[in-house]
Amino acid sequence: MDERWRLSRRQILKGMAAAGALTTAELAWWDEPLIAPRRAWGAQPVRFQFSVPEPKRTALVESLAQRFNQSQKDFEVKVEFVPQAQARQKLITSIAAGTPPDVAQVWDNWVGEFDGMNAVEDLTPKVRDWSGYKDVLPLAWETVTVKKRILSFPWVVTNDGVYWRTDRAKEYGAKPPKDDWNFDDFLAYAKTMTKPDKNQYGFGMRGQGTWAVLYATEFMYANGAQVLGKDGKVAINSKEAAEALDWYLDLFRKHKVCPPSVPTDGWRGIVEGFGRGVTNSYIHNSGSSEEQKDFVKPENFATVPLPFGPAKKRSSFYFSETLTPFKAGKAREGGFKFMAWAMEPEPHFMYSKALGLLPARKTVAERPEFTRDPALAGFIKSFPFSIVSPYLAHAGWGGKLDSEGVPLFQQALVGRLTAREFLDKFAEVLSKNMS
Amino acid sequence: MRSRGGLDTAERVLGGPVLWAGLAALTAFALAPFVWVLLASFKTRAELYATPLVWLPTSLSLANYVEAWTSKLTPFSRFFANSLWVSSVTMVATTAISVLAGYALARFRFAGRQTVMLVFLATQMFPAVLLIAPLLSQWHALGLIDTYQALIYSNFSFTVPFTVWMLVGYFESIPRELEESALMDGCGRFGALCRVVLPLAAPGVAATAIFAFVSSWSELLFAITFTSQTEMRTLSAGLLFMVGQYEIQWGQLSAGVIISTLPVAVLFTVLQRHLIRGLTAGALKG
Amino acid sequence: MAREATLARPLARPLLTRRAREVLTGYLYLLPVVIALGATVVVPIVRAIQMSLYRNVLIKPQEYGFIGLGNYARLLDDDVFWLSLWNSFYWVFGSVSLQFLGGFVAALLLHQSFQGRAAVRTLTLLPWIIPGVVVALIWEYLYQPNYGALNDLLARAGLMTDKVAWLSNPSLAMPAVIATNVWRGVPFFAIMLLAGLQAIADELYEAARVDGAGVLERFWHITLPMLRPIIVVATATRIIWTFNYADLIFVMTSGGPANATQITSTYTLLQAYSNLDFGYAATLSVVLLLIMLAFTLLYLRVTRGVEPVA
Repeated sequence: MDERWRLSRRQILKGMAAAGALTTAELAWWDEPLIAPRRAWGAQPVRFQFSVPEPKRTALVESLAQRFNQSQKDFEVKVEFVPQAQARQKLITSIAAGTPPDVAQVWDNWVGEFDGMNAVEDLTPKVRDWSGYKDVLPLAWETVTVKKRILSFPWVVTNDGVYWRTDRAKEYGAKPPKDDWNFDDFLAYAKTMTKPDKNQYGFGMRGQGTWAVLYATEFMYANGAQVLGKDGKVAINSKEAAEALDWYLDLFRKHKVCPPSVPTDGWRGIVEGFGRGVTNSYIHNSGSSEEQKDFVKPENFATVPLPFGPAKKRSSFYFSETLTPFKAGKAREGGFKFMAWAMEPEPHFMYSKALGLLPARKTVAERPEFTRDPALAGFIKSFPFSIVSPYLAHAGWGGKLDSEGVPLFQQALVGRLTAREFLDKFAEVLSKNMS
Repeated sequence: MRSRGGLDTAERVLGGPVLWAGLAALTAFALAPFVWVLLASFKTRAELYATPLVWLPTSLSLANYVEAWTSKLTPFSRFFANSLWVSSVTMVATTAISVLAGYALARFRFAGRQTVMLVFLATQMFPAVLLIAPLLSQWHALGLIDTYQALIYSNFSFTVPFTVWMLVGYFESIPRELEESALMDGCGRFGALCRVVLPLAAPGVAATAIFAFVSSWSELLFAITFTSQTEMRTLSAGLLFMVGQYEIQWGQLSAGVIISTLPVAVLFTVLQRHLIRGLTAGALKG
Repeated sequence: MAREATLARPLARPLLTRRAREVLTGYLYLLPVVIALGATVVVPIVRAIQMSLYRNVLIKPQEYGFIGLGNYARLLDDDVFWLSLWNSFYWVFGSVSLQFLGGFVAALLLHQSFQGRAAVRTLTLLPWIIPGVVVALIWEYLYQPNYGALNDLLARAGLMTDKVAWLSNPSLAMPAVIATNVWRGVPFFAIMLLAGLQAIADELYEAARVDGAGVLERFWHITLPMLRPIIVVATATRIIWTFNYADLIFVMTSGGPANATQITSTYTLLQAYSNLDFGYAATLSVVLLLIMLAFTLLYLRVTRGVEPVA
C-alpha cells in the first residue's frame, strides 16, 4: 500500500472523526442551525392555524393578522399554514398531544369531532355578549351549534351550486342552465358540452373527499330521500335515494359526460378541471368563484342552483368555515379577541369578498358586491332551499364519511357496487357511528 | 452440434445491433421521465397546460426554480437546508457509532455475537410503518416534535443496522496481522482502529456513509409525521405538502423535484464505483 | 485463538486480565449502537405490541383502554385488511418479478464492453437512488390524464382515442404503480447481478467455448448457476423491502381508488393518519412484522445452503 495515499486517508478520517465528535456533542442542544426563530417579544403570541394555503388566501390572511397585530399591542397573531389535506390530522394529533393552536380555521363538520374529544369549549355566553351576535344569520350559528352549545364563530358561509361555461354553451348550442332546471336539463347540458375530441367533458364530478358523498346526497335529496328518517334512524338506503344515485352515477358510468379521472378527483381536481377548460360544469361552493374569474374570466362562466329532481324537490347543503378556539390553547383571551376582530364588518368583508365566500353577517352580505355578482348568483338563489348538511347530525360521522364513505362511493362509481349496495353499506357505516 | 461459424454470427448479432438497441432502450427507459420533468421545470404556466401538449419549453426560464426556492408556502431553500442538515448529521453520527460497533463485532469474540449479527440483519427487514406510531408518542413525550433530533434519531433505525452489517464485512476482510504490529507497538485498540484499520477500510466506510446520507435524504414517513411546521420540513416532506396545496403547480413541483434529485445524483455519479462495490459486497456475502 | 496468545504480553500490572479487558472494550464499542437502536427500534417495537392491545383512537379519547386481543379479532373480520394482503402479494410479485427480468437484461447489457460504459451505467442506475417521493411525483405527472406525457405519446402514436386516467381506474391503478416501482427497482437488480457477472471467471466461458457451447448454452450452464446465490439473496431482500415499502403508493394513490392499490403497509398508514386509530394501526404493523419475520426465517433457511461466489 502506498504510504502517501494512506496518510491522506488518515487525514480525511481524522476530519471525519472530529466532525463526528462535534456533531455528537451538538446533537443534544442544536435545534436551529441556520435561521433562528423569529420571536415576538412583549405581546403574547396567538397561534392561528389556517388550512387553505392557496396564494391569494395566504396573502390575505397574513395581512389580516398584521392589521390585527397593529390594532392592539397585547397579542400577536402568528399564522400557521397547513395544507387542507393534512389539516384535520394535524389538529387532532396536536389536540391529543395537548398542544393545539389557540384558534383554527376549520369546517363546521369537524367541530363535532373536536367536541367529542372534549377539546373545544362552550362559547355560548361569551358569544351572546358579543356585539355582532344578532347580525349573524341564525342558520350560520346553527352550523356551529353542537348539543345546544355554540362552539365556534361561523366566519363565512356558503352552499353548493353549479358552475357552467356561458361562452362554450353558446358555441356548442347548449340550452343554458336556468334557475329552475331539472335533472333532464342537467343531463342534456352535460351531453352537449362533452367533446372528447377536444378533451372536454360536460360535468366535472367529484369522486374524492367528503364532498364527493355530499354532492351525491344533494341529488338524492332532490328525489325526496333523507339521511335520517323521522324515527331518528338512518334512512339513506331508501328507494328514492337509490334511484337518484343511479342517475347521478350514470353521468360517469353510462353517459360518460365526466372525465375519466373522476374517481380520484377531489376539490383540487374539479376546480382545476374547470379552470383549465377540461370540464364545462362542476358543483362546488362559492369558494372557487374568485379563482375561476382568474382562470376562465368573469364573462365566461356563471352559477345556477342545483337542478330539481323527479320529486320536484331540490337542496343545497349549507356549511360554514369557522373560527374555532381550543380549550388547551395558551392564549385563549387573545384568541377570542382575534376571532371577534375577524368578525368585524371590515375584515369580514375583505375575507369574504376576496374568496368569493358569503359573509355570515347580514349587514355585510347585503352589500352589492355580493348581491350583484353573477358568479355568486347561483348560491344566493339557493339560500331559500338550503339546509344544514344532514351529516352534521352525529359527531362520529365527520371522519367516517371520509375514511369509509368515500372509498365505498368510489366503488359504486367504478361499478364494483350498485347504487343500492353502496347505500346499504353506507347506511350500515352511519348506523354504527351514531353518537 | 453447431458449427463455429454459426456461433460467431449469434455472437456478432448479440454483441452488435442487439446490444446497441438494448442499451438505447435501457437509457431511454431510465432517463425519459427525468427529461420530461426537467423540461417541465422550464415551462411557463401556459406551456404546461396547453392542449395539445407542448413538449419543449420556448425558453430556458428559471422562474419556476426561483419561485420554488423563495416561495413562502413551500420554501425549498429552507427544505434543502433541513434535508442537508438532517442527512449530514445522520451520516456522520451513524458512521461514527457503526464503525465502533462494526469493529467490535469483527474483532472481539464475545457471547451472542452471532445473535447480534442476526438482529442487525433482521432489523433491516422491519417495516417502517411499525415504528411510526410508537416513535411519534415517544418524541412527543420527550418534546422533540418539530426538531431535527427527532428526525436524526429516527433515521438511525434504518441506517445503523445496514452500516454495521456492512462494516463488519469490511473489517473482517482486513488481515489481523496489520493491526497486531500496531498493538505491539503500544497502541490501544482504539489507536489500532484509527491508524491501521480505518485507512484501509476507508472506501468501504465512505460507501456506507454515503448510503446513510442518501437513504436519509429520501426518507419520507418520519419527516411528515414528526414535523408539522413548514420551516422544519425536509425536501421529501416539502414536496408532498406541495401536492396537498390548492392546486398542483407542476412547474414549481418539477423544479422542486430537480432540486431534490441533484445532490444525490451528483454524489452517486462521483462515487458510484465505491458505492456499488460497497453495496453489492453485502449481498454477495449473504 | 493462537494468534492472541502471541499478543498476551502484559504491559503493566493490569487491573483486569487482558481477556476481560478485551471483552469489556468490545461491549463498550457496541454500546452507542445498542443505545441508538434500543431507543429507535427495540423500545418502539415493544410499544407497538403494547399499543396493539389497546383501544386508542385519537378522536375518541374517552374510549381509551385495554382490550386485549380485540384489535386482532377485528382484523379477522376486516375485509379491507384481507384485500390489502392480497394486493400486497400482487404488488410484491408484480414488482419484483419485472424488476428482476429488467435488471437481468440491463446487467447483461452493461456487462459488455463498449465505449462510454461508465457513463451509461451511472445514468441507468439513477432511478434507484432518488427519493421515493420524487419517483412518485414524476410518474404521477407522466400519468396525468390531461397534461401527462404518457397519454400524449399514446395519442400521437395513434394507439389511444379516449384519455385514460391511469391512476383513477381501479383495474389500471395497480399496474400503473407497479410500473413505477419497476422503473425504480430495475437498477437495484442490475447492480447486484452485474456484480455477480463480473465475479464469474472468464476462463469458464473460454473453456465452454472451446467445448463448442453456444451463447445460450453458456448462459444456461455457466451464467445462471454461478449467479444463483446472488439471485436468491437479491430477490429475497427485494421481496421484503417491497412488501414493507409504502412511500410510492402512499404518494401516488393513497391506496385508492376504492382500495384498488391498498397494500397492507399503506392501510396501516391510513389507519394511523386518516382514521387516527393508533391501536388498530399498531395491530396491523405487528401483523406485518410477523409476516416479515416468518419470511426472513424461511429465507435464512434457504440461503444457508447457498454459498457466496465472491
